[in-house]
Amino acid sequence: MHALRSQIALTVVAFVLGLLVVAQLQSQQTAPALAGVSSQDLTILVANLNTRNDQLRTEIATLDRELGDLRADRSRGETSLDQLRDDLLDVRAFAGQEPVAGPGVSVTVAGPIGAPAVAELINELRNAGAEAMAIEGVRIVPGSVVAGAPGGLSLESTPLSDPFEIRAIGSPEALTGSLTRIGGIVAQLGAAEELATVTVTPVERMVVPASERNLLPRYGKPSL
Amino acid sequence: MTAIGTRLRAIPSWQITLGVALLALGFLIAAQLSTERPRIRYTTQERPPLVETVLELQRQQEGLKERILALREEIQQTSQASRGSAALVRQLNDDLAEARLAAGLVALVGPGLVLQLEDSSATPPPDGIEADLRVTARDIRTLVEELWLAGAEAIAVNGERLTATSAIVDIGGSVLVNQAYLAPPYQLLAIGPADLYERLSASQGYTDWIVARVQLAGIGAAFGEFEQVEMPAFAGTLGLDYARVEPSAGTP
Repeated sequence: MHALRSQIALTVVAFVLGLLVVAQLQSQQTAPALAGVSSQDLTILVANLNTRNDQLRTEIATLDRELGDLRADRSRGETSLDQLRDDLLDVRAFAGQEPVAGPGVSVTVAGPIGAPAVAELINELRNAGAEAMAIEGVRIVPGSVVAGAPGGLSLESTPLSDPFEIRAIGSPEALTGSLTRIGGIVAQLGAAEELATVTVTPVERMVVPASERNLLPRYGKPSL
Repeated sequence: MTAIGTRLRAIPSWQITLGVALLALGFLIAAQLSTERPRIRYTTQERPPLVETVLELQRQQEGLKERILALREEIQQTSQASRGSAALVRQLNDDLAEARLAAGLVALVGPGLVLQLEDSSATPPPDGIEADLRVTARDIRTLVEELWLAGAEAIAVNGERLTATSAIVDIGGSVLVNQAYLAPPYQLLAIGPADLYERLSASQGYTDWIVARVQLAGIGAAFGEFEQVEMPAFAGTLGLDYARVEPSAGTP
């Protein structure tokens, strides 16, 4: 009798135990992609996504208008040369094939600095909304990488002098604010790259030259 | 004495086993409750609405990007359809098509390479930083730079084509590229010369990265070479609000 009762009791306990172990393990697993993201980061993410979606909507409105104009022109039997020229210049400016001018910041880097630190600066400027950039007169395009050892950096075979200048066109306030905020990239570099000095100066108007590189793909073809 | 001794001996072993099992059960119930309680509080207060918002905004973003690509395509076709007329219009259209290609606004097919990165599954050492075991924006930036130096001509990360203005930044445990939220695993897609991987793996920067991040931190890295990869087009805005073309500096 005892043996049977104990077996039943143990079976029940083992069963419940098993269920609980599984439940416990499952509740500790981080399942979905956003599980590891804190509420604070989620809030930043929402703000980022909102900004980007607004930008995309503006772009869609512009493209819609452009398409409407094109169709109207076509039905009248004419082609708007001005529209085509404007488009061409915009795309070439974005690609880095046209020199552009506007407000922005001039970032002067003096003293030996590592190539990764310069890459961080460029990345931060992009993140803060830089529209066109150049280092020592060399336009930053996809594929532009600062390489070499501190004191001997170069960009696309142009050696960077000491000091060297990074120009970025965009909102001077946003660019300056993002670089120089507490705990921002300039503060971080101040700690990590002790020998280098980074100075950020807002500029009302400056020119960023066109890239001298051939930016057309050689290996890839337009996919149809 | 003997009575107590008999009594002690009389406690059957199944009762002891059951007692131990019940103790374990109680412990587990307590553990379960304590892991659930803060989670529930956290969850009901703020997380799900935020997570839901993020997911919804991402869905919207996908839709918006598709719409932009479709509109660009339509604009190109419409303007090319009216090209027949003047030689000037034809020239402008050809130039525009070329500029779009240079700007990354056109999807490409070509020989290429895929690098896939995954967070390390290792448990962080007691004195280590857990973030070191994740793929960070810096990891992706390092590899992107190495790919460019090795001769890549176009790169995309999880479908986001890199342009002159693409930032790659950390957000929580994940990465934002072109302001789009990307979740691991990360796929770096590159079009370039046939020996792109050979050149990449011969570079000191890439080797250093492999040692530090794959061999030491346990980041998962895999690669594949393909005769044809499909490189997506950039689907964002050109976003030229401050920059204006400078005609005096010599426009062709």
